[in-house]
Amino acid sequence: MQPPANTPMWSARPRPLLLPLFLLLPFSTNKPPMWSGRPRPLLLPLFLLLFLLFSTPALTQDHPVALKNGKLLTITHGAIENGILIMQAGKITAVGTTSQVAIPADASIIDATGMTIYPGLIDSETQLGLTEISAENTTNDLIEMSDEIMPHMHTADAFHAESALIPVARLNGITNAVVAPESADTLPGQDSFIQLFGASAPQMLLIRDNAMPLNFTGDQRRNQGGFDKRKFPSTRMGLAAQLRQAFLDAQDYKAKWAAYDRKKAEAAQDQNNKNQDSKNQNGKDKKPEPTAPKRDLKLEALIPYLEGKKIVVLAAESPSDLQTAVGLANEFKLKFVLNHISHSQPVLDYVASLKVPVIVGPIYEAPKDDERYDAVYSLPAQLYQRGVKIVFASYSAHNVRNLPDQAGFATAFGLPHNEALKAITLNAAEVWGVADQLGSLDVGKNANIVVSNGDPLDIKTDVKQVYIQGTAIPMTSRQTRLRDEYSR
Amino acid sequence: MRAISQTKLALRCAWLTMALAASALAQSPAHNDILIKNATVMTVTHGTIKNGSIYIKDGKIAAVGETVNAPSNSNVTVIDAAGKYLTPGIVDSHSHIALDDDVNEATSPVTPQMMMKDAFDYQDKAIYRALAGGVTTSLLLHGSANMIGGQAVVIKHKYGATRDAMLFPNAPGSIKFASGENPKRVYGGRDQLPSTRMGNFAVQRQALVEAQDYMREWDAYNAKLKRGDKDAKDATPPKRDLKLDALADVLRGKLMVQIHCYRADEMLTEIAMAKEFGYNLRAFHHALEAYKIADQLAANNIGIATFADWWGYKQEAWDAIPWNAVMAMRKGVRVAIKSDSGDYTRRLNQEAAKAIRYGGATEDEALKMITLNAAWIIGVDDRIGSIEVGKDADLVIWDGYPLSSTGVPGKVFIDGEVYFDRAQPGLGTTHYKEGE
Repeated sequence: MQPPANTPMWSARPRPLLLPLFLLLPFSTNKPPMWSGRPRPLLLPLFLLLFLLFSTPALTQDHPVALKNGKLLTITHGAIENGILIMQAGKITAVGTTSQVAIPADASIIDATGMTIYPGLIDSETQLGLTEISAENTTNDLIEMSDEIMPHMHTADAFHAESALIPVARLNGITNAVVAPESADTLPGQDSFIQLFGASAPQMLLIRDNAMPLNFTGDQRRNQGGFDKRKFPSTRMGLAAQLRQAFLDAQDYKAKWAAYDRKKAEAAQDQNNKNQDSKNQNGKDKKPEPTAPKRDLKLEALIPYLEGKKIVVLAAESPSDLQTAVGLANEFKLKFVLNHISHSQPVLDYVASLKVPVIVGPIYEAPKDDERYDAVYSLPAQLYQRGVKIVFASYSAHNVRNLPDQAGFATAFGLPHNEALKAITLNAAEVWGVADQLGSLDVGKNANIVVSNGDPLDIKTDVKQVYIQGTAIPMTSRQTRLRDEYSR
Repeated sequence: MRAISQTKLALRCAWLTMALAASALAQSPAHNDILIKNATVMTVTHGTIKNGSIYIKDGKIAAVGETVNAPSNSNVTVIDAAGKYLTPGIVDSHSHIALDDDVNEATSPVTPQMMMKDAFDYQDKAIYRALAGGVTTSLLLHGSANMIGGQAVVIKHKYGATRDAMLFPNAPGSIKFASGENPKRVYGGRDQLPSTRMGNFAVQRQALVEAQDYMREWDAYNAKLKRGDKDAKDATPPKRDLKLDALADVLRGKLMVQIHCYRADEMLTEIAMAKEFGYNLRAFHHALEAYKIADQLAANNIGIATFADWWGYKQEAWDAIPWNAVMAMRKGVRVAIKSDSGDYTRRLNQEAAKAIRYGGATEDEALKMITLNAAWIIGVDDRIGSIEVGKDADLVIWDGYPLSSTGVPGKVFIDGEVYFDRAQPGLGTTHYKEGE
């Protein structure tokens, strides 16, 4: 299938003016206009004009588009042969068989005979937008190593929307991803949940600070080199003590602010009372204004996690690390999902008893010498059999495009095919709190749609068209351009 | 407590190993005759045979076809492979497993006297894990820290066998050269030569010039002996230098040159230098920009051992595209997909399947990239790499279609013997435990 001629293709032309607009909006609310004192006769009308032009959701088409005669893998209600999917204004508006769904008269119809159609795939941990060329440090914004406790690092602040890696990944049907910092700190910073298409970072960053990794695999120890080169924390004991101290400090910090807020409210009430009784009191017994605690961004960042408002992504590999990490999380009542658990086969019943989802793998992780050759390959199936909700992640930036291969490989070791597909669509949407918008072919969800020539989990399957919020994205990347240049 | 349990474990393992060996002996006759029936046989060189059979005698492929003549006696083990696929064993033409990190003698940019077989750790379980992915032969190469690294060793993945039994018998010698970012980073980082690509090639050229001088000294000495000059008996032989011996073997064409090289311009420089000094290049490894100069590689009969879709991990991998393998193949280049990794070597079949997706390779073409073409790069394509009568019985029976994410090896044979069996995970390994 070539990009269909009657598809309302969103043109590849960039919208450079959108970026200033989006940057301006958040800044212009509470602060004096940044341009005050400068001549601005042209700018303001221009922004107003742009605002009018793009005040509808920026990436959507108003015109309905119907994908006809494809095989629809809905995820939530089975497969529909010769189905019809209609999208409009960025959303899925109808899904069903030809007899169930009427195509609107004004719809563009795309013949998808022989094609398989499924929701956009979701990668549950990537470094997209944080790196370009791994070995070139000038292109890397992956992790701050100066301290192990860095929850105030926000991947959203570094996310590079124009990364050449993003089109490469989305050409294979990955439409959404979690962006996480690298894992060499226990608390390296906060994740973002992105969409792999948009005119600017703000458009692509669907959720900032959606979750926070807590890594406890041993790799976070500062134990490289001889004893003279080591620094705290150089052991797991050190890592755990440091984490515990950080969460205790954050609890104290929260209490301090709560006390301040209380005193401030009391003072205000007091003042209010005084104002009313000013004639009687004459300013006697005036309570001093409380001083605000010093703001600490690091501790502040931990509070939503201590309050259980956001998810901690708890990474461990071995059974002992896993249990230490879970113990810490429980001590502070953190809401968590598990990550990796690659070498925890002996305690999978314990894992199941925690009743939390697991980002599993990567299943290509080599087994330890005392593990079976297929110990890690079979982990997704073993977890599924115990009723654990699993999702997959590429844990990569350049290889995000291979996410479905991993899910396919897991089926060779016992994971049912539909569960493998769910693990990179609906399960992931549920884990990341976006299942109302993503993860299945259901009416009302974002029209993030993949049209391919076969089974989404088969390595040979070629993706023909990807839609993100209803927009047919240009099926080109730096790599297709190089291919075409040298094929002439 | 710990010591006791380890001893117990060791005893148990030893007992199990013996028990397994005994049962293996009991099950398969000494001469390894096997008949595999009803398989979909993917021969690589002459298409796919539905419901094919193959007869293995004395470790070699004795017959292959829709029906084969095999003696119907009790000495022939019959395996019904209905619903399964049969391919040649996978060949990995670029691997660094089983070297226990002794991959780079990164103390000098020219170390051709390093022999990888001296570091070969035949007990490394990575050999078994690759075997479980269908790999039966690997070329273990020196790394890319040095411009001229060392001499490779070719192994068969007979995990559990003795060290010498795992060396590929009489495999031709290969030597690893490198270029580009790695040597200049390693030595440049120490303020040594080379720290640039100019330096890289100067170091390589200098080494080859020294080898030419060394050869001339030896040629003069040998000529003197041959002529029987009157001073011949007093002539002292030049001092033997292992480093220059190895380079002389390169110049004499006795070692196949395998070059780690990414960028198109550097491949062309390496070709020019080979012509300048009169040696041949067997293959460029990585070769991620081969698609830019494929016709020139084909014209010089140089193969490539490349990745299916790795890219962007360093500057010289920035122009990598997943169509590289097929674009080069269409211009007549012998293309192999290799692992360069203890991870990817376990699933090279999946990597080869990417050639179908990116560029539309046929099934045979894709399979050839991890079998016959890889064998050609190693110089053993007359003995392995396809299912043909007379070749070594290095074979994989697959559960599921091999060129996919879902096909996995069920049984792997090397020289007609089963070294991996999915029904007996751990076969041949000391960590095998009852009930697993």
